Amino acid sequence: MRDLTDYALDTCRELGASYADIRIVTIKDEDISIKLGNISVMELRKEIGFGIRCLADGGLGFAGSYDPTKDEIHRVAELAVQIAKASGSTRQKPVELVDIKTETGSYSTPIKKDPFKVPTEQKVAELVEVDKGLREHNPEIIKFTKADYRGHMEDKIFSSTEGAYITQNIVFCGGGFSCMAISPGSPPQIRSYPGSFRGDFSTSGYEFFESKKLIENVEHIAEEAIALTKAKQCPTEKTTLLLDGHQLMLQIHESCGHPTELDRVLGTEAAFAGTSFMTVDLLNSLKYGSEHVTMTSDSTIPGGLGTFGFDDEGVKAKRIDLVKDGLFVGYQSSRETAALVGLAESSGAMRADSPQKLPLVRMVNINLEPSGWIRNDIIEDTKCGILMSTNKSWSIDDKRLNFQFGTEIAWEIVDGEVGQMFKNPTYTGITPEFWGSMDASSKDDWRIWGTPNCGKGQPPQVMYVGHGCGTARFHNVRVGIMEGK
Amino acid sequence: MENNKELLHSKIELILKEAEALGASQTQTTITLTNRALTRLANSIIDQNVVERHALVRVVVYFGQKSGSVEFEVFEDHEIKQAVEQAASLARISPENKDFKSLPTPKQYSSSFDKKSMICETTHNTTPEKRAEFAKLAIDTAHSVDSRVKAVAGYVQNTTKEKIVANSLGIDAYEIQTTSDAEFTVLAKDDKEETAGWATDARRDVNQLKVEEIARIAAEKAASGFGMKYLDPGEYEVILEPAATAGLTFFTGLIGFGARRYQEYMSFLRDRIGEQLFSENLSLWDNPLEQRLVGASLFDDEGVPHQRVDLIDNGVVKNLVYDTLTATIDGVESTGNHAKWWGPAEPIPRHIIVGEGTSSVDEMVSETKKGVLVTHFHYMNPVNPTEGVLTALTRDGAWYVENGEVKYPLHTIRFTDGVLRFFKEIDMIGRYPDFLALPPIGMVPAMKLPSFRFSGSSKE
Repeated sequence: MRDLTDYALDTCRELGASYADIRIVTIKDEDISIKLGNISVMELRKEIGFGIRCLADGGLGFAGSYDPTKDEIHRVAELAVQIAKASGSTRQKPVELVDIKTETGSYSTPIKKDPFKVPTEQKVAELVEVDKGLREHNPEIIKFTKADYRGHMEDKIFSSTEGAYITQNIVFCGGGFSCMAISPGSPPQIRSYPGSFRGDFSTSGYEFFESKKLIENVEHIAEEAIALTKAKQCPTEKTTLLLDGHQLMLQIHESCGHPTELDRVLGTEAAFAGTSFMTVDLLNSLKYGSEHVTMTSDSTIPGGLGTFGFDDEGVKAKRIDLVKDGLFVGYQSSRETAALVGLAESSGAMRADSPQKLPLVRMVNINLEPSGWIRNDIIEDTKCGILMSTNKSWSIDDKRLNFQFGTEIAWEIVDGEVGQMFKNPTYTGITPEFWGSMDASSKDDWRIWGTPNCGKGQPPQVMYVGHGCGTARFHNVRVGIMEGK
Repeated sequence: MENNKELLHSKIELILKEAEALGASQTQTTITLTNRALTRLANSIIDQNVVERHALVRVVVYFGQKSGSVEFEVFEDHEIKQAVEQAASLARISPENKDFKSLPTPKQYSSSFDKKSMICETTHNTTPEKRAEFAKLAIDTAHSVDSRVKAVAGYVQNTTKEKIVANSLGIDAYEIQTTSDAEFTVLAKDDKEETAGWATDARRDVNQLKVEEIARIAAEKAASGFGMKYLDPGEYEVILEPAATAGLTFFTGLIGFGARRYQEYMSFLRDRIGEQLFSENLSLWDNPLEQRLVGASLFDDEGVPHQRVDLIDNGVVKNLVYDTLTATIDGVESTGNHAKWWGPAEPIPRHIIVGEGTSSVDEMVSETKKGVLVTHFHYMNPVNPTEGVLTALTRDGAWYVENGEVKYPLHTIRFTDGVLRFFKEIDMIGRYPDFLALPPIGMVPAMKLPSFRFSGSSKE
């Protein structure tokens, strides 16, 4: 491939580019879904292609194609330079990139069992057994069941006119199951494990999927779904709120992950994803949360969906603080956005979901660092509150201030003990007030959750990102948002 | 305009022949060639400028009720043969889908549909310089409206898509389409506030894009957004501009009228077909054959002919939309609404048209005692899909209306409300907007509703 990447870069240079890089990428995805005893998805997807990004006449251009041959690379390189020059025509200042250490390394996700070498029959058999277990648990009430698996692999080559040449092999896999209980007099109730929306994922081998022990969790999840049909509606009040892993990770994602992306702070997502309340003038002065809140961006942590060796600009994986002891101290950035605000280096957050997409500032693993509590101690320390689990619904405004979430299930906490179950739980808040009210987060159940469905950009891209967290407690939160029935 | 129809035919013949040789009982294949160019603006400059070229081959192979599918970005014959072999390998080890009876059989496509009107060579040949020219026009127009305009963001895009769908039962459907669209968000700022405005347009012919008009509207909205106040949560009348109505009708169609979600107990219309659940003023249908739609189309992702499907007729729930599998389960015919997204395919209405009325937005304002005028909504999602409860926030302009007059702009407000409640009564419906949209938005006018529940703001 080196001859092709060199040819692309030489062509860009000859056409007047001051900088160019090329990514040649192969992506493989395996999807299996069993639904109500039937095969619903049995699919293999494969994408091969390349993308050339270059600077010329002060503008940035990008073009890609599915066909990494010499002729097509030449056509696309010409197009990328033409686009860069057209882009430069509206700029008053040329695009600048902060310096980086030129890398020539390689990286592979550490795995024990290659998900693409595990026989498909084995994966299907586990999902069929899970789905059957759910259906047979209580056929009168459990009316809908499904079990999912997904494996993903990327082989990437990155090369630039600065001398970088990097190869990477990224692997992730995971899955989960859901069931729906329907009982007279109650709207349908859904429960999922280990998370909703197809489960949980990790940059790991097939051993991660096995470690989720789906079959062992069928009984209690089906029982919870049935119990929800008889549960009381979540009350409408202001109370103490405990969020556990699968909901807390999305709270982190929406209210810290997105607003600390420097491209949207600088307005480049103003027309689509939105901007951010965490503006540059507030860096190192905004009290984002309580002193118990420390958030990091960390692409080095094992198993996270945002874990890799290098980002799509060739920046080596790193860990940085976004919020330190409650103070807003850092951004997720790229070489261009870092230069725009005078940062010395990129945070290494440039990622593209496919070879033909322009890399954008994307989350890697955005983590809430544990504040030293044990989960059960947080519960025992809570006199009155609600514990919510497993995301069901999400929405947040374009500056990432007003959010509203719903979860599959909740429990009342009274005098330090978990009590009755509530259905249709929801809560809402304003980001800095909400994180300002956090006084505890646990370490014993702290782990990295993976969500492969983060949307951003035009044309749209869907990125896989990770979030580390345990269980956290917040005070004076509005729950039970009025329902529009 | 040149096309690849013959080449695509040769590829699908290869696929069907290979699958037959491997013993497949039925096979379906889709090949899509896409050229997409998008110039993105931010901070009143061209910020991103990209071009993509895709060749996507999808093959689904059946052995009885067992199936395997592959979706590969390949185009060479030997790679396509490998793709078919892999689909067959998956199908051989697949469990059965006992609901599957057969792929669709050929049916007559609309003879009155003007296929030539779907293509514009100028759009296909749009250059980066042309898109940059549009970008500059939008930037200059917006900044000329008000000195407080700070930044223009958005995009100008052109796409050419060729698609062929075929199966072993004789379906052979081909279409080529060009589209162009532009969308601008204008930010304005003074020493106290930042405001925003937004507008969009889509056309088959890039030269007909109303770039200057939408840039002006977005800028005027931003300029009239200063002096924002907070609104207390509660029930208000609401005037929904076309894009705001379209957000609500899209989700109504998505979570209510698709047969898959209905069969999986996820639809809020479960067991309620035939009931008068909505205002008598509301008629809503799906019609991809409506040629005024920029994204009009002859057939769905299974090659089944598109048709008009009445979803709500004068407030009465009439029909669901089906693809072949869900139609088989319910013992009816596919309505031609198969949509292959990521993961399992499902039937959804992607070309929703709402019966228009005669009122203007100004007339709606004049008839409002205490209400909110909304440009459009941001980040809409179902809170509880089985009960049709949605939530979202206002974006790019919302104004408080009292005693027939627009009083002042509002900070962002959130609604949480149910489709079956807020569409139960509709006071007024407008005419179709001057600007067009791409699927999944069809033709949706402005509306005035007597009651809409706002549940929060950026203050609480």
